[in-house]
Amino acid sequence: MAAKRMSVAVISPERTIFEGEADLVVAPAWDGEVGILRGHAPMMVLLGSGDLRVRLEGQEQRFYVSGGFLQVIDDVVTVLSERTEAV
Amino acid sequence: MAKVREIRRRIRSIENTRQITRTMEMVATSKLKRATDRVYAARPYAERLAEVIGRLVDPELRDRYALLRQPAEVRRAAVLVLTANRGLAGAFNANLIREARGLIDRLRKDGVEVDLHVVGKKGISYFKYRQERLASERTDIGDRPTAADAASLIDPLMAAYERGELDAVYLVYAQFRSALSTPPARMRVLPIESPAQREGAAVSYILSPSADEIIGSLLPLYVRNSVYRALVETAAAEQGARRTAMKNASDNAGEMLEYLRRTYNRARQAQITQEIAEIVGGAAALE
Repeated sequence: MAAKRMSVAVISPERTIFEGEADLVVAPAWDGEVGILRGHAPMMVLLGSGDLRVRLEGQEQRFYVSGGFLQVIDDVVTVLSERTEAV
Repeated sequence: MAKVREIRRRIRSIENTRQITRTMEMVATSKLKRATDRVYAARPYAERLAEVIGRLVDPELRDRYALLRQPAEVRRAAVLVLTANRGLAGAFNANLIREARGLIDRLRKDGVEVDLHVVGKKGISYFKYRQERLASERTDIGDRPTAADAASLIDPLMAAYERGELDAVYLVYAQFRSALSTPPARMRVLPIESPAQREGAAVSYILSPSADEIIGSLLPLYVRNSVYRALVETAAAEQGARRTAMKNASDNAGEMLEYLRRTYNRARQAQITQEIAEIVGGAAALE
């Protein structure tokens, strides 16, 4: 099971807000929410504003994001946003 | 007698000065620590952003994006100069101003009209003294610049650039190589110098929305981030420069005190010797 995780980083210009592992990431894309699981195809999507949720073993962390983008490559999820805060 | 008192007064005054410079040195040291942390904390964002843009932007398609487009001729440029609000940081502000002057003179010689935007009281008062017209001046950016500060500085310039009112935007700031090395530097913010070369295999992404729209919204982030990093580096560089300047001042005060104390003791000795000689002389005269 342990291998079935993605690594996630949520980064603002000022600092790295979150860095860790996740089973599921749900992000507010510009046109609606996207959910990302392990093995997702490489993707780059602009973000709208709303809740970014990072779930690991049933535990969920939430962040507010507004603008920026999300990138997935090889199970590495990177969220870059000028406005993002842990909720 | 008078000389002894005179020296004592100088010793006291220099001690006071040293107390102040020492305190400033310590304050700068602690601020430097925090400022350095901020410089490092800003790196991941900048690196990833440059990486992504490098991956997405095809150098051959430069002309499609206003922020990358190279104007045929530069007629009007904005120069954004970052300086500190406070002095007592050695040559820190002077270096920045000299760098800015060099850039402005060069641009003017090439027939470019220059809009001058200055951040920091030191830069503002210099350019005002030189009777330069400032397009904007900011003193509200302190020791802890934020991404919002960067956006408020560059967004109007970016908009003017997109409208074609500006053909280039330059930034003069202080590089933070280390606490001891904070050289002034200039950077062309717009048009964007190709942000990192395409490296490695291009990833075939699912892009949403289109690549064009993504690039269109990432480029402003890149520009703002360049300015933010320059602000953070300049803030750290200022503290580094101040710490060095104040350390030198404290050391010099120490040396001066050592010399004065020696002189003072010698004068005091001489005075005592003379008094004794006078007493002995007086006693001898009575016999």
